[in-house]
Amino acid sequence: MPKVHDRVLLALCSLGLAGVFFGGFLSCAPNRLATGVAYPLSNAPAPESGTVMIGLCGLALVSFARGRKFRSFATILAAALILWGSFAGAGHLAALLMQKGPPAARASPGPAFWTLASVAILAIVDAMQRGNFGFFARACIGAAFCAGFFLMAAAGDFDNLSLAREFLNNRGVFVTELLRHLGLVCAAIFFALLIGVPLTMLVLRKKAAAGFVFANLSILQTIPSIALFGVLITPMSKLSEELPFLRALGVDGTGPAPAVLALTLYSLLPLVRGFHTGFSEVAMEVKDAAAAIGFGRRRMFIEIELPLALPALVSGLRVVTIQAIGLASVAALIGAGGLGTFIFQGIGQYALDLVLVGALPVILLALLANLIFEMLLGLARRKL
Amino acid sequence: MIELNNVSKNFAATPAVSDFSLKIESGAFFVLVGPSGCGKSTVLRMINAMIVPDKGQIEVRGENIRAMEPEKLRRGIGYVIQSAGLFPHWTAADNILAVPRLLKWAPSKCAARLDALVALLRIDPALLKRYPRQLSGGQQQRIGVARALAAEPDIILMDEPFAALDPVSRVALQEELRGIHARSGKTIVFVTHDMDEGLRLATGMAVMNNGRLIQAGTPASILLAPADDFVRDFLGGEGLQLRLLDLVPVRKLMKVGKARSTGTIAAEASLKSAVNLMLARRCSSLGVEDESGARLGEIHLNDIVARRDAS
Repeated sequence: MPKVHDRVLLALCSLGLAGVFFGGFLSCAPNRLATGVAYPLSNAPAPESGTVMIGLCGLALVSFARGRKFRSFATILAAALILWGSFAGAGHLAALLMQKGPPAARASPGPAFWTLASVAILAIVDAMQRGNFGFFARACIGAAFCAGFFLMAAAGDFDNLSLAREFLNNRGVFVTELLRHLGLVCAAIFFALLIGVPLTMLVLRKKAAAGFVFANLSILQTIPSIALFGVLITPMSKLSEELPFLRALGVDGTGPAPAVLALTLYSLLPLVRGFHTGFSEVAMEVKDAAAAIGFGRRRMFIEIELPLALPALVSGLRVVTIQAIGLASVAALIGAGGLGTFIFQGIGQYALDLVLVGALPVILLALLANLIFEMLLGLARRKL
Repeated sequence: MIELNNVSKNFAATPAVSDFSLKIESGAFFVLVGPSGCGKSTVLRMINAMIVPDKGQIEVRGENIRAMEPEKLRRGIGYVIQSAGLFPHWTAADNILAVPRLLKWAPSKCAARLDALVALLRIDPALLKRYPRQLSGGQQQRIGVARALAAEPDIILMDEPFAALDPVSRVALQEELRGIHARSGKTIVFVTHDMDEGLRLATGMAVMNNGRLIQAGTPASILLAPADDFVRDFLGGEGLQLRLLDLVPVRKLMKVGKARSTGTIAAEASLKSAVNLMLARRCSSLGVEDESGARLGEIHLNDIVARRDAS
């Protein structure tokens, strides 16, 4: 009996097989509102469905392999087969079904597709983790998969999937909303820093103020986001009525102003807490030694405290950024725009693919932000 | 060199140092000893203005330190603490050169000084590029001492610098430090709660308890005439007589002449080593040799027991 060396892979493989056999791969409906008919993977063209099965069997076999490095490479290869098979399979099956169906027909990926895609991505992430891949190798692998995806998209492989159709229908608006989303996030972080940095200084200098500040920020943090957006409408519109110069700046009860304000308030607690921890964890004896050999206050801050606290500062910013990217989707509810617009439109029209047009980029943005901050964190920790 | 006059300091109504006066001469290796919490570190930290006294006056090189800029004062005084307090994000070399760079020395002067320090403290040059976490405790403390010496201060303050080291590294660094002191003539103020360490290093010594100075003088004068029971206890009670033997070289009590004893001991070794060797060899006398191995005379147990310390 051969020995299993990687149980995670075997589990992922079983999950993928379960998805293939028990879930629909593609669901096809005559129009947006009608319930679709599920088509299993076996309906997809043979080369693609075959590739998926080969990939899954490959994962199963690889889990018995002994060499760690070999297992990582083989896993990534098998996962690539699964990914390509399921993406191309879905696209091509959709094309076949669309030819037969009515013009308003919609084909959207079903549970089997999503299971396969997640299994493949998890396998890749796990393989990179176990193979101890460096940052550069990870970036290259990520870039290769992205490039593959965009090449397939450019070749029109996905054009018949309703998700792609929704995206193409909204292509013009998409860029605007994406930029608006990023704008909300950046503005929120900017204001959070503007308030958070002096607040951190206050909390560090006056221990008595720390309890008060953190208690209040915690209360802010516990308010549900929709409630906070709602609560801000009345005072903000009052303000804009009373103060014409604010109105001239575009401040109103709805729109980007209350959204940025709410996002800023949410960012304050993780930001101030992260910064506070960062600075207070610089070892007392190091600061003591620095002072005792003649570092002045400013020098000590720039040359000792800041570099030692930097990893914690970057971590704080990472939490805040990722949180703001997610929360900014809700801002669409009060007319601030952003990717949330598609999500709420999709919910309103019961067009789940439109929801995904908003949701998937939000997820990708968060992942991208995470990646960038990982990199910065690596730089900040280089010497520690 | 350093003078404290009627200095007092309270921490939140608890007196840490009370009415403390002390004069430390230039070139002294001055050890402040006392139990934990007796205020010896507070005294040390007042000398470089890390702590400002509530009352009293402190003069360094004849100048009242209240009138000086604290940063300037501190850059002219070396400082070593127990955990070395090295900057974790700087290499050993950068750590050593911290003060010369604060003083804006030219890079060539810094490099020359670094070479000199590496030779002086016998630091392996390969360690210079490492970060503190990649160094052992003894290596870190060596870097810490080098950092204190870097800008050639004439005063060095040391707060239990070797307390956290293993016995081997501790003794090695103590010897290193004693050698540096003897050659350079720097004034060293050294805080420790370890009496043996204090006696081994000190040319001058002060015993503290509860924030007060109990007795000051040379190690021998304190050992010979403890001011009170506290000092006697702190000196080790029953062990006191053995400690005294540690201060006197064999040379002082040997009888010149021909020796019949088989065992030999160096003339500069302490009486304690001589007694130790006699006990080990089950004999009551030893031959005495000089450094070249030439026989000088003999030392007898009876003379050690009957001696009257003149030192």
